[in-house]
Amino acid sequence: MTPERFAYLAEAYGADVQRWPPAEQGAAKALLDSGNAVAGEALQAAAWLDAHLDSHQPVLADSALARQIRQSAPRRAWFWSRYAGWLSPAGLVGVGIAGVVTGMLVASMSVPLPMLSSEVLPSVFDQGDAEVVFTVNAEETEQ
Amino acid sequence: MKDTDPDVELLARIGNNEPAAVNEMVTRKLPRLLALASRILGDADEARDVAQESFLRIWRQAASWRSGEARFDTWLHRVALNLCHDRLRRRKERPLTEEEALELADSAPSPDEQVETADRSARMAAALAALPERQREAIVLQYYQELSNIDAAALMNISVEALESLLSRARRQLRSQLADTPGLARPGRGKS
Repeated sequence: MTPERFAYLAEAYGADVQRWPPAEQGAAKALLDSGNAVAGEALQAAAWLDAHLDSHQPVLADSALARQIRQSAPRRAWFWSRYAGWLSPAGLVGVGIAGVVTGMLVASMSVPLPMLSSEVLPSVFDQGDAEVVFTVNAEETEQ
Repeated sequence: MKDTDPDVELLARIGNNEPAAVNEMVTRKLPRLLALASRILGDADEARDVAQESFLRIWRQAASWRSGEARFDTWLHRVALNLCHDRLRRRKERPLTEEEALELADSAPSPDEQVETADRSARMAAALAALPERQREAIVLQYYQELSNIDAAALMNISVEALESLLSRARRQLRSQLADTPGLARPGRGKS
């Protein structure tokens, strides 16, 4: 590497040779190690400007901004809210079906079955049977 | 890409709406985005806006990110740079109002500010702001954001040789300005 090339790279990339193009770093270090005066001066001038560049303090991230940005991210949906779209109608349908089944059950208990006579399987709402039961109980009490 | 992109796994987790991944991405990229935007724009509020808009793009892109096409960090720089360009363009279309000019004057280091670091930072900010837009962009991408010369050149749509030329001119001008009395030009309003 020529001293002129070294000076050009120092002018472009600064004093830290590690940040120069990788293909040029080895030759640049070798030139520096040789004690070349031009290379040394170029590096010194670049270091002066680097120090000034490093003194610049950019805007720092404050917690309020970070929080605001985090809140702008899409959030994980809760399990139930994720399925709420179809769970609500499904729930309504389920309640409806349960109501119908309950109604049918109650109706089946109050209406005598046509195949069986009331003597074999009396209805719980059969008034006549109730009177028989009460009469029997009364007779047992008198005895 | 030959090397693995360190952000890909995090993006996948964000795509699955993992809150911890969102936090990690903000921790990892927010300082970087603010540094980029504040140095390009020279305005803290605008830099915060650019950072917020950039993160909205990240959230939208995360689930569908395809590794192998571009490094995520490079893509993010392109997004942020485009947002900065939009703002710089709007500034050029709309001249400074008197009120804004006064605000800029207020941002100068006051005689009471004795803190050496703040004073040096302000002088450096003014020197950066006075650079032509493309030179400032080259310095910010290569020096401050520590992008490789290939990535920086690609982001600016120029060759590596052209990038080196911009960097050399920028550093010469900065050296000259820092040696002289500092001015306080606003980015995007200097020479271009």
